[in-house]
Amino acid sequence: MERIPTKTWILLSTAFLLAGAVWTYLSRVDPGIVSAGNIPAPRQGFQAPDFSVTDSNGQLVRLSDLRGRPVLLNIWASWCAPCRAEMPAMQRLYQDYQQRGFEILAVNLTTQDTPEKALAFANELGLTFPILFDSEGEAARLYQVQSLPSSFFIDEQGIIRDVVIGGPMAEALLRIRAEQLFSGSEQERP
Amino acid sequence: MLPTLQVGPLALQLPGLIVLIGLWLGLTLAERQAGRCGIKGSDLYNLVFVALLSGIIGARLSFLLRYPQAFAASPFSLISLNPDLLEPFGGLAAALLGGLIYAQRKAMPFWSSLDALTPALAVLLLALGFAHLASGAAFGAPSELPWAIEMWGARRHPSQMYEILAAGFILALIWPGRGILQPNKAGIYFSGFVALSAGARLLLEGFRGDSSLLAAGLRSAQVGAWLLLAVSLLGSHWLKHQASSK
Repeated sequence: MERIPTKTWILLSTAFLLAGAVWTYLSRVDPGIVSAGNIPAPRQGFQAPDFSVTDSNGQLVRLSDLRGRPVLLNIWASWCAPCRAEMPAMQRLYQDYQQRGFEILAVNLTTQDTPEKALAFANELGLTFPILFDSEGEAARLYQVQSLPSSFFIDEQGIIRDVVIGGPMAEALLRIRAEQLFSGSEQERP
Repeated sequence: MLPTLQVGPLALQLPGLIVLIGLWLGLTLAERQAGRCGIKGSDLYNLVFVALLSGIIGARLSFLLRYPQAFAASPFSLISLNPDLLEPFGGLAAALLGGLIYAQRKAMPFWSSLDALTPALAVLLLALGFAHLASGAAFGAPSELPWAIEMWGARRHPSQMYEILAAGFILALIWPGRGILQPNKAGIYFSGFVALSAGARLLLEGFRGDSSLLAAGLRSAQVGAWLLLAVSLLGSHWLKHQASSK
């Protein structure tokens, strides 16, 4: 670079900058098109994949039935230590936000756990949010769960706003994400 | 895509692990370059350590300042290991400030220190590409090209692979002692690397499917990269001129 004559250097730089400006202009996209929002995928900005699981009474619960309410989908198992560690903070969050329409779906990965153990753990901690059972592993498959816990913050339109893989999640993080789901403000998200 | 690596009961966040390995390998390579730039290897390590520590503390404190109510309800979250509780811009500012203070106290020459750090930055960029591949972040725009890959519900440009190839190419160009770009005049090596990286980002952002947009659909990262390219090209010219006049 040091050996290039000044005139050639200026010409080359100008050419690079012009080409860059043209490419920036050519590769612009229509701001009205938000393709990610229409595609179901377990990723921030995408439509939350729909699934159905059963509750402790054997009743079917579908994620899409909760459209219009912010949801924290937490996939967990009773043998998973970080899952257990974050549950008390989730319970406090639920107590504070439930009145505003916030819902927590604690989906137990029943293919790797048992409903008895899951319910015993929920009773031990006095959890009041719904404990659901993914007996067929549908939710785990659709959300590509590779480790537990896996948490998905879903807004009123059914769009995933944040994904947290692993845990335990700090209570402050839970509260911030819940508030962001209510405010719906992308800019607020760090 | 492999966002976590399950080792017994432990779920390792693979993208974070890749970046850490990249930092370690990058620093090892930078140490070889440090001597050529007149910088002591130990000073370079300490500089990075101070910048990292300042960055982490600054990022957490910035996050606290941004969301004080959440921490008031849960003060213990302040010492949580959760990386989501970090504010990146505050962290970057604190890291730069910490690094600058350390460099000034040790009387490290500014441009030569940046030259010495350049191989580490290049390896970090490469590691970032692999981290994106592991997490599925920085994904591509939908595409029907034969080499498109299935990701997030569509066939897409393998943007992470483009990123890895570009970073690998840049690393080869600046490889200490062998690449065509070497630190002969202070600062030009670093500014050349910045220009190459900005140019790569400018080009590759056009294939991304997750760009944040400015007015008229312009991609903000491309506009930022174009400005950085302009500054680094001008900077290289200025540094060359300064060196010649001496």
